[in-house]
Amino acid sequence: MPPTNPRKFSRLSPSPRFSVARRRFLQTSAAAVSGIVLSNCARNLSNNTAPSAETSPTADGTTATDSKTLHVFSWANYTDDELLKNFKDQTGISVVVDTFDSNETMLAKMQAGGGRAYSIIFPSDYMVEQMIELNMLMPLDRSRLKGIDGLMPKWQNPVYDANNAHSVPAVWGTTGLIFDPQRVQEKVRGWDYVWNNVDSLSRRLTMINDVREVFGATLQYLGYSLNSTKPAEIEEAYNKLLEIKPAIAAFMTNGWEDQLASGDLQISMAYSQDAIVLMEESPNLQYIVPESGSSLWTDTMVIPKSAPNPDAAYEWINFMLEPENSAKLVERLKFATPNEAAFNRLSPEVKNNENLFPPQAILDKCEGIAPVPQDIADLYDRFWTQLTST
Amino acid sequence: MATTPLAESSAASGWQRRLANLIQPIVLLLPSGLWLTLLLVAPTLLILELSLIPGFRLGQPAGSYGLGNYLEVFQPVYLQVIGRSLGFAVGTTIVCLLLGFPVAYWIAIKAPKHWRNLLLVGFVLPLWTSSLLRAYAWITILRPSGLLNTVLELFGLPGQSWLNRSPAVLIGLTYSFLPYMVLILYASLEKLDRRLLEAAADLGATPQQSFWKITVPQTLPGIAAGGLLVFIASLGDFVVPELLGGASSMTVSRLIYNQFLGATRNWGLGSSFSMLLILAVSIAIALLLKYGDRSAARS
Repeated sequence: MPPTNPRKFSRLSPSPRFSVARRRFLQTSAAAVSGIVLSNCARNLSNNTAPSAETSPTADGTTATDSKTLHVFSWANYTDDELLKNFKDQTGISVVVDTFDSNETMLAKMQAGGGRAYSIIFPSDYMVEQMIELNMLMPLDRSRLKGIDGLMPKWQNPVYDANNAHSVPAVWGTTGLIFDPQRVQEKVRGWDYVWNNVDSLSRRLTMINDVREVFGATLQYLGYSLNSTKPAEIEEAYNKLLEIKPAIAAFMTNGWEDQLASGDLQISMAYSQDAIVLMEESPNLQYIVPESGSSLWTDTMVIPKSAPNPDAAYEWINFMLEPENSAKLVERLKFATPNEAAFNRLSPEVKNNENLFPPQAILDKCEGIAPVPQDIADLYDRFWTQLTST
Repeated sequence: MATTPLAESSAASGWQRRLANLIQPIVLLLPSGLWLTLLLVAPTLLILELSLIPGFRLGQPAGSYGLGNYLEVFQPVYLQVIGRSLGFAVGTTIVCLLLGFPVAYWIAIKAPKHWRNLLLVGFVLPLWTSSLLRAYAWITILRPSGLLNTVLELFGLPGQSWLNRSPAVLIGLTYSFLPYMVLILYASLEKLDRRLLEAAADLGATPQQSFWKITVPQTLPGIAAGGLLVFIASLGDFVVPELLGGASSMTVSRLIYNQFLGATRNWGLGSSFSMLLILAVSIAIALLLKYGDRSAARS
């Protein structure tokens, strides 16, 4: 769910991981041509829940087979060169980081077999749950994890993964509105402003390109749960969203930053992480969590079953959990850490940044996005496609 | 008796020739045949199969075969998307033709000969940069505080707000595909038989008459080929509508992307849209082959 740099189309650029995808694709195609698999291809795809649990990744010729390289698949802005250098100095393992900009893109890539090089992935909360269901994640060996007890109590036993059996929380944040207080008509407290100012906003609002975030915010605005499973409530949210369609410039998770700073956009719905990064450059901007509440998200570190190098993955997780490393990284990259030991080491300036660590009163209004039953998910999808297509 | 050895040798060489005739096309066609089979035919068949499984999603048990995906396509909201895509493609083709013909005509016929290549290169130059970059460039130009409005303001004209709306998509697509149109029209105009124009002038035809009765019919195959290329390319383009179209200009290509990798993944529905797009393009090509050739033969 959260941040990426503005390289929205990074997936279009050639990168080493594509060669893996292509090889896989050629194999599939060749099999299809020989007529053996074609009739069952779709079924094979759909049953390919753990892409390579049974086949050795080394036999597949991936690039990440040597034990001195760790391939990490992450959101942008969660690592930097200094971190990778320190990790290499300490462990002798060099790290290659590839980024994704949506959980769904990441999942599709892993399922299609294009992600076999990765030993560490950073999925968000609800995606962890989905990947566990799909049997894609390696259960974590607690005895090999150092410092996991240093997590804040709230993240010791998260709803999406009981006792962190498959995942280690790495970053958390909220979803809210970012705007320039000088350019809005009145004080912005939440979504009220958007529905009351559709005319003056005329295509100067962007919303996150994510069905559950957009519908969740609207459901909360209407006084329902972000995770509503009642078709009537979801339809009401859809009709409510149609009202502000003329105000929406685009559904984009990233890429609004420049236009917001220059005033071409008035308000953007954004992940706190992205907002904070932008506000470092443009201090005149303001980020709020809407008074009707927002989503509270957690991005985690997991080891996929297909990981070619689980040993290095454990080293990585332990390195990230280490309070000193973690605190330094947070100071540099400005994200909210669920690691209490690291939090205690932060400078007061970062600790008291309410955009990073909102007060409890705001957090109480936030909900985590939880998976919904398939028929309800289909309903969300259908309304989302209609909303974005009209 | 004396003829037998001769007959034998000719029979042998005939057999060899037949073998060569058999092997030659296989060797020549094998690379492209393999290429097409592996990278075109097989994936298309795969998509065809996915499109026949209603609600297919990666990682979930596949349902039984059915036409559900194709029936869903006929919902009004999707028909609107298809109509919008066709509108963009037709609009881009027409604008490219209107803008491209005079340019190609001028370069091929009016411009000094030694300048022609330079002018052509100048026209094709934008193609050397990535289409993504060019789309971003248009964002900078079209955004409310962008170059376009700055210039308009300078002349006291009202500012335009085209970004994130259909006009921006049309501008972006036209900009992307105009060079192809010009190149093809140029190739066709360059071969224009000037003697016919001279003869027409001798016989008293006005320049307008000779343009419509000689120039246009002779370049009709070029117009058809250029138009078709622009139509197909703009129908399937993803980058321009995604970056310039905003929240209210959904096109088929964006819809397909969303179904495969976007927030709402439904590979089955996405596949059925892909098949329809392939069908539309195939029909366009079939029409060209049928009518394009005939008009070429007539001229």
